[in-house]
Amino acid sequence: MSAARLYLDALAGQRRAITILAVWSIVEGLPALLSGRLVALAVDNGFAVGKPSQGAFWLGVYAVVSLFGAVGARGVYGRLGEVVEPMRDALVRVVVHGVLHDDATTRHQPDAAAIARITRHIEVVRDVTAGILIQARGLAVTTVAALIGLVGTAAPLAVLVLPPIVVAVAVGIALLGSLARRQRAVIMADEQCAQLTATVYTGLRDLVASAAEAVSASRIGRVVDRQARVAVRLGNASANRELVTSFGGLVPLLLVVAFAPAMVAEGRITTGAVLGAVVYLVTNVQPALIGLGQTAGNTVLRLVVTLRRLADIAVAPTAPIVVATTIPVRVDLVMRGVTFGWGEAATPVVTDLDLELPAGEHIAIVGASGIGKSTLAGLLTGLLRPREGRVLLGDTPVDTLAPQARRRLITLIPQQSYVFGGTVRENLSLLTDAATDADLSAAVDAVGATDLLRRLGGLDGEIAHGGGALSSGERQLVALARVYASTARVIVLDEATAYLDPAAEARAEQAFARRGGTLIVIAHRLSSALRANQVLIMDGGRPILDSHDALLRRSASYAELMRAWSGAPQAISARDEPVRSHRRPAAQSER
Amino acid sequence: MVRRAADTLLLRIARRTPGWLITATLAGIASGVAELLLPDTTAHAVDLAIAGHVRLTAFWPLLAVIIAVAGTNAVYQATIARLTAIGTAWLRHRLTGTLLGLRPTNPGLAPGDAVSRMTGDCALAGAAAATVAQLVLVALTSIGAIIALALLGWWLAVVFAVSLPITLLLARSHVRHTEGSLAAYRKFSGELAARLLDAATGIRTIAATGTADQETDRVLTPLPRLAKAGLDMWRAQARMAWRAALLLPGVQLAMLGAAGYGVLTGRLTAGGLLAALGYSSMGMGLIGAIALLTTLATARAAADRIVEVERLPRRPNGNNVLPNGPGALALRGVTVRADDGSPTLLDIDLTIPAGATVALVGRSGAGKSTLAAVAGGLRLPDEGSVSLDGADLATVRPADLRAAFGHAFDHPNLLGDTVADAIGTGADLDTVTAAARAAQVDDAIIRLPHGYRTPLADAPMSGGEAQRIGLARALVGDPRVLVLDDATASLDTVTEERVTNAIRTSLPGRTRLVSTHRIRVAEQADLVAWLAEGRLRALARHDELWQFAAYRAVFTEAPG
Repeated sequence: MSAARLYLDALAGQRRAITILAVWSIVEGLPALLSGRLVALAVDNGFAVGKPSQGAFWLGVYAVVSLFGAVGARGVYGRLGEVVEPMRDALVRVVVHGVLHDDATTRHQPDAAAIARITRHIEVVRDVTAGILIQARGLAVTTVAALIGLVGTAAPLAVLVLPPIVVAVAVGIALLGSLARRQRAVIMADEQCAQLTATVYTGLRDLVASAAEAVSASRIGRVVDRQARVAVRLGNASANRELVTSFGGLVPLLLVVAFAPAMVAEGRITTGAVLGAVVYLVTNVQPALIGLGQTAGNTVLRLVVTLRRLADIAVAPTAPIVVATTIPVRVDLVMRGVTFGWGEAATPVVTDLDLELPAGEHIAIVGASGIGKSTLAGLLTGLLRPREGRVLLGDTPVDTLAPQARRRLITLIPQQSYVFGGTVRENLSLLTDAATDADLSAAVDAVGATDLLRRLGGLDGEIAHGGGALSSGERQLVALARVYASTARVIVLDEATAYLDPAAEARAEQAFARRGGTLIVIAHRLSSALRANQVLIMDGGRPILDSHDALLRRSASYAELMRAWSGAPQAISARDEPVRSHRRPAAQSER
Repeated sequence: MVRRAADTLLLRIARRTPGWLITATLAGIASGVAELLLPDTTAHAVDLAIAGHVRLTAFWPLLAVIIAVAGTNAVYQATIARLTAIGTAWLRHRLTGTLLGLRPTNPGLAPGDAVSRMTGDCALAGAAAATVAQLVLVALTSIGAIIALALLGWWLAVVFAVSLPITLLLARSHVRHTEGSLAAYRKFSGELAARLLDAATGIRTIAATGTADQETDRVLTPLPRLAKAGLDMWRAQARMAWRAALLLPGVQLAMLGAAGYGVLTGRLTAGGLLAALGYSSMGMGLIGAIALLTTLATARAAADRIVEVERLPRRPNGNNVLPNGPGALALRGVTVRADDGSPTLLDIDLTIPAGATVALVGRSGAGKSTLAAVAGGLRLPDEGSVSLDGADLATVRPADLRAAFGHAFDHPNLLGDTVADAIGTGADLDTVTAAARAAQVDDAIIRLPHGYRTPLADAPMSGGEAQRIGLARALVGDPRVLVLDDATASLDTVTEERVTNAIRTSLPGRTRLVSTHRIRVAEQADLVAWLAEGRLRALARHDELWQFAAYRAVFTEAPG
């Protein structure tokens, strides 16, 4: 999405408010329009001809006009919120939608700092838009009103002074391009500096351990020096622009002084008109021109750069290639000739894989870490699209199912569980609107989270943002109960019990096995394999699906895994004498 | 104390660039004088013009003043920007050095905080000299303008002096009026950001369950309240604008009236009336001085925050060369305290013979990671000493320390542009590949989009893969001592065993300090150092310790 499109779309709904704002602007511009004229009248008809009461009268009129200006200013501000706030709402909507529908972030953990920056960017757009509407609009109204007033009060002088003003404005606009480039360079350098500092500081331990301090210092140093260079360049460009605008404001004054005497002498113009013209130029046009230059130079450019950042995020979500119109009745999972790799050149993670999982099957996937178990889970649930081959749920390719339909049939719990700020009930009913409190409580009991629910204060208990003080294991229990309560008929546990102790893990897995439906467990501990009907072993070669006993004979790597595991007394103790889980408060975590 | 150090820091910035500071001051003074001359010159020129004198006697002075105003102002603005840029860059270089010299873990300085000090506070403090220069200019022009008013007519200065305090009061009450709705706005905005962050963290679940639309709505729940707080803010602003719009022209009108009276009584020319208007609006610049004073206070506060970082605990930084040796480690009376003074490690005496493998065992929070960091020279103990082959780590130069120890961690932070960089910046690819093979991660790396040249940001990586790349990084420098801090916790037992064997083969005879939750690792170690609540409970073989229930209990803790 382009930055301009994003901004105009966000403003599009506010046409009426913008119109009203424009009307109030005209009222606000009245004092600027009449100031010189009234001063001219006060002098010509009053003070200069010895009639102070006349002079005072015209000044009184000026006071009344100023009152109108104040009313106008109030009206502008009053309407400002009605333009700016709905626009901010629209931006927030588009951006939040973009973040949560971004496919790429499903592979990497999103960068928390980047998310925080998004909200700040939106605030910048809001503030800058308001600034433009107040300042730049006000200044533009003042300039135009004063110039109209000037033409009406001292037309012969106006003809003289308009050209330099127009030239100054034109040159100012021509300079905007180079100014924009420099402003953007400054913002980019700032962002780079922030990013590099964050990387270096969060990685300080590792950086010191691998003796990379000097390299990092010089990397930051280079960015800092570039930052200073572009800031100086921006400063010089701004000074040039100010030079142009101050001449634009002052040269007209010079022209008045040079040519007015002859005009006054010839009687083409009155004394008061000359005074009025100077009032227009000195009190309105000149300050407004300088102000406009600064606003355009700094504020508008900031707006443009920030909008570009937001536009990158606010991408329209990519729809599945074909959205299936039917919802499959059967939920047998079938993989046919599936090949998948992370890049064209990379060794594929999965090559030409065939797999059949009838509805109701309970399998475990085992293999060394990094061998591609999570990738397989992504393929089975339609999160990843195979390079070749197809993954069918019933007879529908799983990646073509509409998200809402998919959610009702198939669901995956990753190792990092999603717990959000809100009540326990909100967290548990994420995947189902239909579940009653009794259903939710039953799910909690089934996965072994009864104690946790009590400590949280029941279904109405509040969970803080980011899960608050919940340990990783407790978060996993919430995620497990949530999926247990859902209507999904195929469930993939992708190391979803990794932070539970072995006994709690066994309890949760058995609960899912009893729940019915297809259960696919990506094993963190090998005890998961013993509980499954069949085991899929992934060892870098062709994956094999078979029963535990058969695999011990058929797969050397499976036999090796089992030997290494059952040799460890921890596993035996975990099976023979289940230990209660040792929950620890978060504050006591490893330092 | 911090405050004084902060002011010293600001003065040092100013002294860094005397040439530019003097240029800025001179340009400022010149610009101020030119601005002060402008209304008076204009007045004379206008008087002559009104009188119909077709002579250019007034033209040339006005032209000169206009050129002076525009020219000096441009020079001044450019110099101010340069002054700020130089000061900011100097502070950032300094802060970079400070941050890089800190102890690896600083609970007192969160990463976001460090970044905001680097980007925000350095820029604010760097503007201090420029702000002082601006203050001088504003004071010069506005006080000069008031004096000029008095010279035109004392009653003009009186009228101005009466109206000024009203304007000042107005500027002050502005802040008070918007505070309430501003706080509400910030609150709801923060709530929305927190919800978005929650959802972004759970993005994998959201994608897997197809709940993106629903979650978008949930994140947006505070939006109506945010919009209402925003509207309230603008309404408060509108009330203020109303008053400002009434008062500011009020001052101008009062001046106009007073000057008009002067014209009438013949004490002032018509041009003088214009000059009075010009000087009064210049005198209003004093209000701008308040904003500048606030900026200066902000700069001082920012300098405080930079000085604060300089007071955080730093890493050992000795000068001595580390003598060659087999890798014998000795800890004597090592105590490490947390920020609140409570001991994380207490009086630890531990001797690790060269070439031995020692397992560090203990519950979470027992102090294993701290002990690993202290033993490997990443931080100094608060009391006691650590020596490697007889040399006190506090006196050894950092480069030798890094070469002697290879560290790997539970959650490694991988740095560098590519995967190969993350293992060894500057190392040749053969060395990197060998280390990756020993860490059992070569297989996973060749499956990445561009193998070893894959940019780190584009590498889909599980915790176990990151951990093994971190291991490869520890191995690549061929260190004397390996410190593995739970560095294989995410690996399955078979892979872990392969890693252990590969290290034994490729780096034979290295001293190894391995903190672990796994029985198998403790079993295979020559000795187990059993930590409990910061103390060394025992140093013995695993089978000797197994008889103690408390020791066995350490291994049943989740995660398994």
